[in-house]
Amino acid sequence: MNENQKKSSFSERVLKRIKSEKVKMRPRIYFVLRGVFIALSIVFVAFFILYLVSFIFFIFRISGIWYLPRLGLPGFGMLFVSSPWILILIAMLLIVILEILVKRFSFAYRRPILYSILVIIVIIFLGSFIIVKTPLHSGFFWKARENQLPVIGTFYRQYEMPGPSDAHRGIISEITDEGFCIEQPNGQAIDVIIVSDTRLPGNEEFNEGDAVIVLGKQINETIKASGIIKADSEFKEFIRYRGPRPLRPIPSR
Amino acid sequence: MGQKNSEQTDEEIARLVQSGDIDLFGILVKRYEEKIKRYGRKFLSNFQDIEDIVQEIFIKAYKNIRSFDVRKKFPPWIYRIAHNEFVNAIRKESKSPLSFFDPDTLFPHPVSKENTDKQIGKEEFEQAINKCLDRLDPKYREPIVLYFFEDLSYKEIAEILHIPIGTVSVRLKRGKKIIRSIYQKSDYQI
Repeated sequence: MNENQKKSSFSERVLKRIKSEKVKMRPRIYFVLRGVFIALSIVFVAFFILYLVSFIFFIFRISGIWYLPRLGLPGFGMLFVSSPWILILIAMLLIVILEILVKRFSFAYRRPILYSILVIIVIIFLGSFIIVKTPLHSGFFWKARENQLPVIGTFYRQYEMPGPSDAHRGIISEITDEGFCIEQPNGQAIDVIIVSDTRLPGNEEFNEGDAVIVLGKQINETIKASGIIKADSEFKEFIRYRGPRPLRPIPSR
Repeated sequence: MGQKNSEQTDEEIARLVQSGDIDLFGILVKRYEEKIKRYGRKFLSNFQDIEDIVQEIFIKAYKNIRSFDVRKKFPPWIYRIAHNEFVNAIRKESKSPLSFFDPDTLFPHPVSKENTDKQIGKEEFEQAINKCLDRLDPKYREPIVLYFFEDLSYKEIAEILHIPIGTVSVRLKRGKKIIRSIYQKSDYQI
């Protein structure tokens, strides 16, 4: 059998198989729909990651652990210990899934993984910073407190106070000779004693109504503070009220 | 018809097959049968049933021919299908499956010039490859086969393997280094 006959017999065998097994060409729409499905999966996973990462940023803020690094190395240690690691691991896993989906497209597989991962991370972080500035999570948070948010409401309630046991959040209700008194979100009042080795980043002055995070062991109803951080007004809103969302002032005309 | 079709490009024939001319697919099979078989024999050096796998590749190509964009080149498309089938065959046979993640694709790598290493000592090197190919990791074996035996460019290999061009360059460089070391250990000189 010469080379041409051999070639013919192989191609004939392939054609014979196609015809006898009635092998069908997949229609173009199949590939279009598959492309659309992958693109939609990418969009869905990307939005889910954006929601999750912005939620992580949000609970960092409302729990007060966002402010801990201001206390230096011990603050970073507490931040590490009290971070919501399960959510962070889920977000990382989803980023890997997103990378695998994106790698199906030539614009991604033609470049090193490092580039596409970096682009994904930058987009996710920027998007999450923007989302956390919108009322999305705070709106869900208040709805969850009022038990008006089914399914995801549990998350907001569960992660409301994940801070470390030695970090106490509250609003200064009274200035005392030794420091001040704070009212915690659960309504309990605690005396805070400031001593010479209490870390006070920025040497800020404390006034009644300030929202603070006090670090230190609570003995009875007193804390000898090892560090105090003054938080911003947004944080104050979240720790003041245990009940329904506060009414916003009507803007003056 | 035969004369006319032999002058047509792969892409033109693929377009006609897409519109329903099954018999013209036979021309594409004839044109690529030997190339794909050679690629398979070199890449899957320990396999006996290459012909069955190659037949399966052409059946898959026929099924999916409407996913081929006729504005692009046909060879990378058919070689991509062949690559997937060969990798699947290795996965089925191998006790330690091929890894999904390859650190070579993680960071950018500089791309070396293509033609220089093809010309210098090509014949001797091809002999060395033939003797050592089955002892080479599949991830280095495949780009070496595509580059030295199938005469494909870095860009085409990158398209077939879905990896960056820099990774193709680095795998070829490492593959050649491994072949040299295997060859030298066997008391040969290249």
